This record gives sequence, structure tokens and C-alpha cells, in this order.
Amino acid sequence: MAENTTCCACSDGLTEQEMLLQLDELIGEYLDKPGGLIPALQIAQGRFGHLPESVLKKISADFGKPYSEVAGVVSFYSFFSTVPRGKYVVRTCLGTACYVRGGKEVLSALKKQLGIDVGETTDDRLFSLDVGRCFGACGLAPVIMVNDDVHQRVKPSKIGELLKAYAATEEGVAQ
Amino acid sequence: MIAPITTIIASVKELRKFSQEHAAPAGVKQILICAGGGCLASGSDQVIDALRDEVLKQKLSGAVNVTAVGCMGLCVEGPVMLVVDDMTFYQRVKPADAAEIITEHVVGGKIIERLVARDAQGEKAVACIDEIDFFKKQTKIVLRNCGRIDPECINDALNAGVYQALGNVLDGMTPDDVIDEMKESGLRGRGGAGFPTWMKWNFTRQTPADQRYMLCNADEGDPGAYMDRSVLEGDPHTLIEGMVIGAYAIGASQGYVYVRAEYPLAVARLQKAIDDAHAHGLLGDHILGSDFSFNLEIRMGSGAFVCGEETALMASIEGKRGEPRPRPPFPAQKGLWGKPTVLNNVETFANVPAIIGKGAAWYASFGTEKSKGTKVFALAGAVRNTGLVEVPVGTPLGELIYDIGGGIVDNKPFKAAQLGGPSGGCVPKQHLNVPLDYESLSELGAIMGSGGLIVMDDDACMVDVARFFIEFVQEESCGKCVPCRVGTKRMLEILTRICDGQGRMEDIDRLIELGEFIKQGSLCGLGQTAPNPVLSTIRHFREEYVEHIRDHHCRAGVCASLVRAPCQSACPAGVDIPGFVSLVGEKRYNEALMLHRNRNPFASVCARVCFHTCEEKCRRSTLDDAVSIRGVKRFMVEQEKEMQLPEVRENADNAQKKIAIIGSGPAGISCAFFLARLGYKPVVFEKEARPGGMLVQAIPAYRLPRETLAREIRMVESLGVKIETNKALGREFTLQSLKDDGYDAIFVAIGAPDGVRVDLPGCDADGVADAMAFLREYNIRGSVPVGNEVVVIGGGNAAIDAARTAVRLGADSVTVLYRRTREEMPAYAEEIEEALQEGVRIESLTAPEGIVEANGKVAGVKCRKMHLGEFDRSGRRRPEADEEDCFVVDADQVIMAVGQTIDGSVFGGAFGLDRRGWIKADPVTGQTSLEGVFAGGDSVTGPMSVVHAIGDGERAAVAIDQFLSGEKHPFWRVEQANTTDYDPDEDPVPYPRETLRMMPVDKRRSNFDEVEQAWNESEAVRQARRCLRCDYGKCAVCEEEVSNA
Repeated sequence: MAENTTCCACSDGLTEQEMLLQLDELIGEYLDKPGGLIPALQIAQGRFGHLPESVLKKISADFGKPYSEVAGVVSFYSFFSTVPRGKYVVRTCLGTACYVRGGKEVLSALKKQLGIDVGETTDDRLFSLDVGRCFGACGLAPVIMVNDDVHQRVKPSKIGELLKAYAATEEGVAQ
Repeated sequence: MIAPITTIIASVKELRKFSQEHAAPAGVKQILICAGGGCLASGSDQVIDALRDEVLKQKLSGAVNVTAVGCMGLCVEGPVMLVVDDMTFYQRVKPADAAEIITEHVVGGKIIERLVARDAQGEKAVACIDEIDFFKKQTKIVLRNCGRIDPECINDALNAGVYQALGNVLDGMTPDDVIDEMKESGLRGRGGAGFPTWMKWNFTRQTPADQRYMLCNADEGDPGAYMDRSVLEGDPHTLIEGMVIGAYAIGASQGYVYVRAEYPLAVARLQKAIDDAHAHGLLGDHILGSDFSFNLEIRMGSGAFVCGEETALMASIEGKRGEPRPRPPFPAQKGLWGKPTVLNNVETFANVPAIIGKGAAWYASFGTEKSKGTKVFALAGAVRNTGLVEVPVGTPLGELIYDIGGGIVDNKPFKAAQLGGPSGGCVPKQHLNVPLDYESLSELGAIMGSGGLIVMDDDACMVDVARFFIEFVQEESCGKCVPCRVGTKRMLEILTRICDGQGRMEDIDRLIELGEFIKQGSLCGLGQTAPNPVLSTIRHFREEYVEHIRDHHCRAGVCASLVRAPCQSACPAGVDIPGFVSLVGEKRYNEALMLHRNRNPFASVCARVCFHTCEEKCRRSTLDDAVSIRGVKRFMVEQEKEMQLPEVRENADNAQKKIAIIGSGPAGISCAFFLARLGYKPVVFEKEARPGGMLVQAIPAYRLPRETLAREIRMVESLGVKIETNKALGREFTLQSLKDDGYDAIFVAIGAPDGVRVDLPGCDADGVADAMAFLREYNIRGSVPVGNEVVVIGGGNAAIDAARTAVRLGADSVTVLYRRTREEMPAYAEEIEEALQEGVRIESLTAPEGIVEANGKVAGVKCRKMHLGEFDRSGRRRPEADEEDCFVVDADQVIMAVGQTIDGSVFGGAFGLDRRGWIKADPVTGQTSLEGVFAGGDSVTGPMSVVHAIGDGERAAVAIDQFLSGEKHPFWRVEQANTTDYDPDEDPVPYPRETLRMMPVDKRRSNFDEVEQAWNESEAVRQARRCLRCDYGKCAVCEEEVSNA
């Protein structure tokens, strides 16, 4: 459980075929656990970045649950995504403390900078934009999370720099 | 370092021995540095690395130990650290400070002053953690180990005594003993509802079953609360210990901790703690060699707020959609997988070992009659010391915010505290004394909740806050119950409408009605409490809802549709501030002045005496400092060579109407000015020999030169206004006589010219004067008797004006006595500062008890020192008399400036006054109970600022026009296109804020020359260009201009 389940680490360009092959190994231990479905979904998403239909169908077959039930669970929780997400998921906190300390302005700066709306992903699949409800860093509001990194006292005017640092890491990797 | 033990602790005896055997070796210097979520975000991991590198570099390994610990609480000052030797607390530590800390302090023993906290006055350095206000007023039970131990090291936890309580339990306590102890302690659930913990445990224990479950709710979803996170990340073993004890009490063999997905670090640390506890025989089979077995697993949430509700949480653990179900059956009977289950919150569990370890009686010694122990609050929002604090239940809210929290950021006024997140409500400033316990808070419509406490200042719009919470619950409603799903949606629509200026008056009652339906018709806590933030803001801040609906005004300057620019919205006269400031930036001074004059006849006066609410709301202050709007204005008005007259729409019908305005202060003249621009020819009656009201009678010439005022009054006269001086209401004429003379409408703006007299013993002595009369006498007649030793009683502008006037008239010493603190003086801060420079002495926290007389003349003022007591209804601490004896301040003149009033008898009983003695009038139109008679300015509101009176006059002019013509014609209210150049993509200019220059003190003490000096052109233009142009793109006309360009 301690492994990375929240970060939408990329699927490394895995085909759905390859995902299905890896799936057994990933979720095997949860098949017999009571209530194992959600941890299995979390692990699968953590590995693949999102949960395509074929993966959900295989999970439902493995757990012996109707597909409708699995899809119902997936659609209920906001952390699950059935479409590919960006390598970096940027979540703006709009909890109370961040809201009263200017979270809204941070969000609009992010939208402008990334050119996408909440729930969307940039064309280069680098960034997705989401809204969060309190990351527990209220003392340092406003905050945003980029995957698992918390950035504190974010100023709308500094958003560009912040994102550039992540994009630069990416270019470094590519080279 | 202690060698890690790998063997299982096989018995309670071994556990007891453990801490003795593994105590930290003497002589090793401990440095604890916070690696809690907040400090990590502030970069504490880099500081930890730097410190450890430095220890290696200086070959101090083994002698100095750098330990990464959990949250210390003072997140705002992070990264924070503690040098254990002398308990020195360092804050805002940077990696570059590491070498100095090791060399100077740890080795050299010298405290590094620049990294330590300051006292409340910001003067003295306070190094020891136990002496810092933020810490010394807390009582740490839940957070006892947070920030003191390495959360990833079980040895550290064991050394700190974690699991000793479990040892006690397994060493002879029966499950009933444990439950009895809980009962005696009075512990109530800390998740928010406050249900007695022992009762929950007892019900579950008594339900027959083959399997019971112990669950921990770590789905800390309330925005603004993060104490659970802190325990999970800072002291996970204490949580585990609490859960094992609880499991033993109820007979559970399996447990789950349900942690929200937003807390990856908490999950990682808790998982390590669980693994370590297993490895040491503190979890799993035969714990500490006993017959008791308990297994614990983590389950992670997936971003659904409703899963914080107990039945939804259990559904989620079962692998289902996290929807709540009806209760009963309660989880104690049928919980997880249909088995009896206890669900407690993290903070509740963290209390359990402390209760067992130190005894129920000890625990019950904290708190109130009905609520025992402590509560952790997450202080956030507009408070200086944001972070986690733990205080005894029942601590007054004001103490938490001011004594521990350090007060409001930038000393702004406190407006409200929001407690309990989306299920809670707000507490306004009238109730700062409320004890933080379950019952007292719910009486006010708030709740203790999970402990999130968001402090709000004047920049928070309560309607917007309500909308925020409803949007939150509307999005997070699982949708099962229609009232919650649809009702919150309807409430959101209504609130959005109100914030957009489209609200209707009946909306407020509709919100209350809907809220009650939702509360009654929802299954779970989410729906049952969802309307609370709305109901509570309506209860305490109804007038803000009304302003949004009726006046299309958002006083906080938050609601985008109602606010063109925050400065303009904050100006009571509605002056187009970005407009005139940007025109000055392009040196178009006449246009700038005309734009200003369009909404305010007194540009030059306001450039000198306005207390600029606009600057308080200036958005530039989030970048560096507010634009010096008044300074720009001051330069602008100096450029007026030829009087710039505003647009006047002549109207023959209007010119025939007779309008009387009583009082030639800012309200009266403003009303006359706007009426004249509509073609009316009003007559203004002034009691004194010179027009201007308080502007001429009370405000001294060194603040407002007489010619400046006279010139603007002449400007108004030139528009067709007639001013008749030496004509007083109740003396030369009455309301009735005006009517008899054929006046169609009357505007009463007589101000609040009389001083309030305090009944002090001896106040009839010769030499006791009233500030208003003192100032009036000097300003109108040109001379007034002044003493050598002058004492002024009061803290408002009149007190400071009188004091500074006395200095100029040659008093040897001038002392101002004020019963509260200097920060609380109602006079403008700049004026107080200047008074001090001129040699005025201010004795704050000093109350007069009586006048000392000698031969019928004033000889002094008998005073008593005060201290601050509880918070009063104004949100300030009430001054209370010290025990010490009285003392006497020598004086040969005492000037009383303790308030202003009106003499109601001048109305001849014509209309009603409110209970404070002011005229009752409609807040929008100024209409009084007499038809055709309107009122505004200080005589309605009580003493307010000049610009408020100007706004009142304008509104009255619009209302009088409507009364006489049947329609409104305020053409000046149409926003004008801003035609200056502005590139929104360009970076703001970097110049800092400048204030106006002052005449040197030695040159101003003996005369009434103007003290403030205008800037030169280049400075003024630079300052004007600092404006961020918040109005850009906010006005339809401007948009058109831009698109045509």
C-alpha cells in the first residue's frame, strides 16, 4: 500500500495489451482480500496512470464482480480516471484556508498558463489540472500539489516558473 | 545511535525494561527538525541534508544527532527546528544556515538571534520554545510526541513511552476496566460530533458477535483541518497503540485505518509504523506475549469527501461506492461487513494511551464540566501564527486567535472565525469570548467539528464564503438523498445569483427554508449539516446578504460581478480610482481631476483628509504595498490651475423646485453639488459663520488649509448652489417653517457637532473643555484659551486634532489619555504618528477617574491604569481597572474628546431618533419618517469619515431627484471608459510605495502650515503607474473601446 498509488505516474507508453499482462502480478494478492477491489484499482491506476475499459473489464472478471459494479465504483471516486492523465497532475487546493488566501487566483493563473481547464490534460500529456479539497497544509496557504510534491504560498505570478521546472526535468530526461 | 532491536518484545516486562536500556546516550546533542507536511513544503528536507552534511564535515557524527521529526505546529514559520540542549527554537531555517547553527550554537553554545522568534511586540528575541507565546499557552496531550520523536523510528517512539499504556492494559486490566477508565476520563469523539467514546466502545463490546472491527477514520476531509495528518505523520505509533487498546476493550481482532489519498506521506509513515510494530510483536498475534491478537491494515480513500461519514467509510472499505446508509442499525450493532464496529477519529485514539498512562482523573482535570481534555485546532486563514495548536477544551476563541495565534495578519480587524468546515458555521467578533466547547459553539450555530479554524478578516465576503461551502458540499454530495443532491444545487444557484448581483430579497428566506429541508431530509451527516455555513452566515451577517441584493455592493471587494476594482468598491463615494490614477500616470491631470470630481466634489479636501479605505483593499498590497492613492490624488489636485467644472444638465423644471439643505458639511455640500448637476438650485443653511461643517470647524488648518476648502466650496456654489451662513435649525428656522416657505424637499445633514460629556467627578471645574467646542472656537473665531499642561481624554480623531492644536497654540505639555491600547485608538494611525513626533505624549491603557480641582480650577486628572480583560462585543479586549492605586497627571486644562452627538431638540420632535440618538433614515435613500425630508451624514450614522458623508450626500441627491421628478437620473454613475494605455501582459513596475513627505517637526510645532507636502511630478507619475489596473476588462464600455482600437 505504501507504493505510489496517488501519483499518476505515466504508463510509460504501455499498450493496453501490456497492461493486461502486468495486471495479474499487480493485483493478485488483493483478489482474495475482503474489500480488495479499491486497493486493486488504486494500484492499477498508480501503475498505468489511468484505468482503460479493458483493464476494468479484466479486473471485474478477476474479482468475479459485474462490470457495472466496478465501473460504478470507479465513477464514484474522483481519484480514478478512465482517460489518460498528464505525467504531472497539478492539483490546486480550494480548501477553505487556500480559498480565502487566494486559491481561486492561483487556479486561474494555472488555467491560463497551461491553456487547459480543470479536468483536462495538455496536448503533450505533461500536465493535467485538477482541483483538490485541502491537502492539510492550511498554514501555508495557498498551496498546490504537483503529483506528491506540495508547493506552499504559491503566487499566481510565479506559476510559470514553477511549471517550467517540471517541464525542464522532462526535457532533461528526454535528452 | 541506538542499535535497532529486531527481536520481538515478548512481554510487558520486556517492554518496561526497554526504555531504560535504550535511553539516549548522554552527551549526544540532539537537533530535532520538522519534517511534517508543512515544513517539507517549505524545504525542510534540504535543511536536514545540509545539517547532516555539516555534522559529517565537522566530524561530529556520534556527538550531534540530527533527527527528522513530525509537525511542531508553527507551520507558518517553517522550516522549524529545535536544539534540545537548551530548547532553542529556530524558524525559517535555510540550508545556508546549517554551518552557522552547528558551529556557533551546537558547538559554540551561542544562540543565533536572527533565527529565533520575537515577542508579541516584535522587539525582543525569544529563543526557548517554552517561552514563545505560541507554545507556552498550549497543553499538548494529543500532540505530545509530535515534533519530539522520529516518526519513522519505533525505538524513538518506545523511548518516548509509546506502548507503555498498552503494557498497562495487557498487564491486568480487563476490557471493562479500560472502558471504565474511558468513561471516567470523559473523552468525547474528536471527529466532530463529540459522542462519548466509552459509550461507543461499550455498545460494540456488548453486541454478541464472532468478529468485531476497530476502525480509524483518517479521512480528514474537512478543508482547513489537518491535525490527523500531523499525528499520522508525526507520531503514528501512538495511533496504533490507541487502536490496539480500543480493540482489546471491544474484542476486535482486525482493524483498518482509512486514510485519504491526499496524504501520501502519512500513508507511507503509518505503513512503516505498522510494519515495525508487527516486527516487534506490538501488532499481530499474541501482542506482548498475551492472548490478545490484533491486525491492522491501511485502506486508502480515493477522493470522496462523503467517505468521512461512518457508514460511507465502511462501504468504501468493503470495496463499494462510498454511499451512506440509514442508521439504525448503528455500526456498534452492524458495521463493517455486518459486524459490530467502532469507528473513531485519529485524534480520539491519540488521547487513549495518555488517559491509560496518566489516569482518567488527570485527563479529566483539563477542559470544562461537560467536555474534558484538550482539542487540537488547525489555525489558518488571516491569522499570524498559522499552524496546529492544542488547548484545553473551553479555551476562549479570542485567546486562541490573539494570544496563541498572534492576532490578525497586518493588524486588520477580525471579522469571523469559521469552525468545523462545511458542516460548521462562523463565529463573529461579538463572540470572541465563546469557550471552545461542543455546547457553547453549537449555541452560536457553529460546531467544534474536527478542529479546522479559519480566521477571516475584512477581506472575506461572508456570502462568498457561504457559496464556497455550498459549492463544496454540492460537489461532494454522493447523490443518494434528493434533498441533499438537489437542495444544495438550488442553494448554490441562489447564492451564485446573489454574488452576481442578481439576487432577490426573498432569496434570504428561501435559503433558510431550503436549508431546514435539507437538514431534515438527509440520511447522513454531510447532508444534515450541509446548510450550516449558509444558515450561520445569514444569522450573523445578514446585512452583507442585503447589501449584495439591494445595493449590489460587496463590502469585502470579493464578488467579481459587483466589484469593478477593489479600491473603487471600497470608496464610499464610488470614485473611479484606477481611472484617475492611470490618467495621472499619463500626465492627463485635468481629465483625471474631472473623473474624480464626477463622483466627489471634494477632491482637494479628500486628497488631504480622506482615510483611504481604497488603499486598504488595493490588490497591489499582495505584491508589495498598496498604491499610494491619496498621494497620487494630492499631486493631481495641485495641478488644477483653472477650476475644472463637472457636467451640469440644466433643467428648467428642476430649477423651479425649492430644496433646502441643512448643514454645509461634506454630506450637505455633496448633496447640493449633485442636485445642482441635475439642474436644481438648492439652498444650503449653515449654522456657523463659515461653511464646511466639520471640515472647517474640527479639522485643523495644518491638515486642511482653509483656502483649499473654500475653493472647492466656491466651485460648488458656481454650479448654482446658494449657501446661507449663520442660519441654524431650531434658531432661525424649523423644519415646519421651511415647509411653510414652500420647500419641496429638505435634506438634513447637521452632522454630530456636539461633544459627549462624561460625568466625571470635578468635570465642572474651570479649565475643562470639550474637544469639539475647543476646535470650533479656534478654527472659526481664531483664538481659544489653552493651558500649559493640557490633558486630552479620548482616542479618536477629535482627541488627536485637539492635542496637536494645543501643541501649536503653545502648550508646554500635551498628554492624551486613552483607556485601551494605542493600536486600538480610532484615530488614523498617521495622525497619531505625527502627534507623537510633535511631542504629544500618549498614555494608553489609562482611564480617567476624576478631575483634581484646586480653588475651582483644574489641577490634574486622577487616573487608573487598565489592563486588557475579556473580549467585548466590539471584538476588542475590554479594559479593566488595575488593582493598583490611582495616580494623578498634572494639568491646568482638560479637553474631553470621548464622543460626538447631536442635540435632538432642534427637530422639535418632528421625527424619530434611534436609541443611540441618531436620525432614523432609509440606508439607501436617506428618507426619514417625514415625507420629503431626507437625512444623511453623521447625524444618521454617527461620526463617520468625510468620504462616507460625501457618499451619503450623493445618494440623498439621487433620492430627492426621484422624489421630485419620479425618476432617477444619476448620469455620473455611468462608468467611463478608461482610455489610458495598458498592456496586461507586461510585468508590474517595480517601484516601491512612497508616502508623502512631511514638513520637519521643528518647523511645524509653532504654526498651522500644512504638514504634508505633495510629490513632484516624476514621483507622482511613478507612483501612479504602480496601479495594477484591476478595472481592466471589467467594464462594457472599455471592452468596446479596446475592440475598436
